[in-house]
Amino acid sequence: MLRLEAMSCGYGGMRAVEALDLEVGAGEIVALVGANGAGKSSTLMAIAGHVELQGGRILFDGDDISSAAPMARVASGIALAPEGRRLFRDLSVRENLVVGGYVRDAGRQARNIETVLALFPRLAERFERPAGTLSGGEQQMVAIGRALMSEPRLMLIDEVSLGLMPKMVDVCYGAIRALRARGLGVLLVEQSTERAFAAADRVCVLESGRAVWRGSAAEARGNSAVIDAYLGVGRATADAAS
Amino acid sequence: MLQLELTIQGLINGSMYALMAVGLTLVYGLLRILHVAHAGLYTLGAYIAVLIANASGSLLLGAAVAIPAVGLAGMAVYRLLYEPILDRPPYVALIASIGLFIVMEEAYRLVFGPYGETFSTPYLAGRLAIGPIGAKGAEVLMVIAAFGLLTLLALLARRTRFGVAWRATVSDPAMARSFGVDTIKVRYVNFFVASGLAASAAILVAVLNNLVEPTMGSVPSYKTLAIIVLGGLGNVAGTLAASLALGVIEAFGTIYIGHLLDRDAIAFLFLVLVLMIRPQGLFAAK
Ligand SMILES: Nc1ncnc2c1ncn2[C@@H]1O[C@H](COP(=O)(O)OP(=O)(O)OP(=O)(O)O)[C@@H](O)[C@H]1O
Ligand SMILES: [Mg+2]
Repeated sequence: MLRLEAMSCGYGGMRAVEALDLEVGAGEIVALVGANGAGKSSTLMAIAGHVELQGGRILFDGDDISSAAPMARVASGIALAPEGRRLFRDLSVRENLVVGGYVRDAGRQARNIETVLALFPRLAERFERPAGTLSGGEQQMVAIGRALMSEPRLMLIDEVSLGLMPKMVDVCYGAIRALRARGLGVLLVEQSTERAFAAADRVCVLESGRAVWRGSAAEARGNSAVIDAYLGVGRATADAAS
Repeated sequence: MLQLELTIQGLINGSMYALMAVGLTLVYGLLRILHVAHAGLYTLGAYIAVLIANASGSLLLGAAVAIPAVGLAGMAVYRLLYEPILDRPPYVALIASIGLFIVMEEAYRLVFGPYGETFSTPYLAGRLAIGPIGAKGAEVLMVIAAFGLLTLLALLARRTRFGVAWRATVSDPAMARSFGVDTIKVRYVNFFVASGLAASAAILVAVLNNLVEPTMGSVPSYKTLAIIVLGGLGNVAGTLAASLALGVIEAFGTIYIGHLLDRDAIAFLFLVLVLMIRPQGLFAAK
């Protein structure tokens, strides 16, 4: 469904990700892991069209979307729950969902809201509250729910568990598995390798903008020492550089 | 009784400030521009209304033409003045805006003369009274118009899909755009609404004073800037509250400290005092 071919992206003169090959299929969860600054968020943002593509191609269902505007990518079925969540903080939960579904016609809004509330019943209790007043876990639910409003086939989720209480993380991963069961593809970024290996089907490890390890989640669990070393090495170089 | 009358007078002036300041804070919230030329559009609304009213004999027609016409003029100001310089530092837009305001005032002076226009038949000059409390018809209409128009605006902003998209754009333009919100359309609508509200305030002031003059926007221009700072830049509810508060404080100040301080200086005394105590304004910005 999603296919990155030697994708490079970055910021002006600065390269964040170098020649990354990656595939995400329907009904599959792929986890991107890596140290701080490895290029995980940049990868998601480039797929969503927010970070400048500097080489290679992004294919979605075989179509080259490399130069499509962010909104066109949403319309074609790619939705993003970004780093830091970036909710519309003064808007209520309901209103955040309304904006999330803006590319779909208003008639489908009510049905899509039902879907989100069925996935996250807790949001029904917070429905008219400003999103900025919610707990971190609830905000993550809104971010995922808002992305779902556009009826995506591919979900990009950054920092699934960062800063959340363990119970909330379970709720979020429960929802992500439910989405997979419905045939969505999910590309997620996860700080906790333990969580990533438990939830994902496949794992890709980034270090300094390059893919340095990839395999199934089962293989990742078997090689966790190697992968932790990559993350650790990444950290050490980052520390040395700073 | 005096207190009650002063409060009412204050709320009348506050309503006028609110109609004008809301537009200013909306523009600031969306584009981070201090839209000084807003006051030039305000004056334009009064001129269009008085000229059409005098030519046709109908104030209603004058208002019905002036309000949308000034809305369109506001959109033109965005397109021609602000859009080309949006990626420059904010003071560039501020200077451009002040420049446009001066040009507009001079243009009114050149085209319509320095002495101003009056309505050939005064409108709404009668006094409405409930017991001992009374106000001019135009003053009552000012309060009704402010309340009605701003309530309508709030309803549109909360209840309609476009209104929600508008507020999302204020909150995070890049995110809103990525979800498919046409943020350029939001800007145009924003300028149309802001400018239309300013025009409606100006028409009522013109009727109240039976005078439209080139510089009628000067005092409101700096007072409404003070108001939106007090209200917490970009904060609509705060701006409304600050408008009414300033109206009432001016009304009382004119009576109690008017011998020390000019009425128009009271706004600034108030601004300075508030900013000394609460530098973020009465109501913190979002
Ligand atoms: N807006 C930006 N402008 C310039 N450089 C950026 C920007 N955002 C990220 N970078 C740089 O791009 C590189 C990759 O950053 P990215 O945010 O993709 O990493 P990450 O893997 O998501 O890290 P983290 O775990 O800290 O979120 C880093 O070197 C970072 O400094
Ligand atoms: Mg990141």
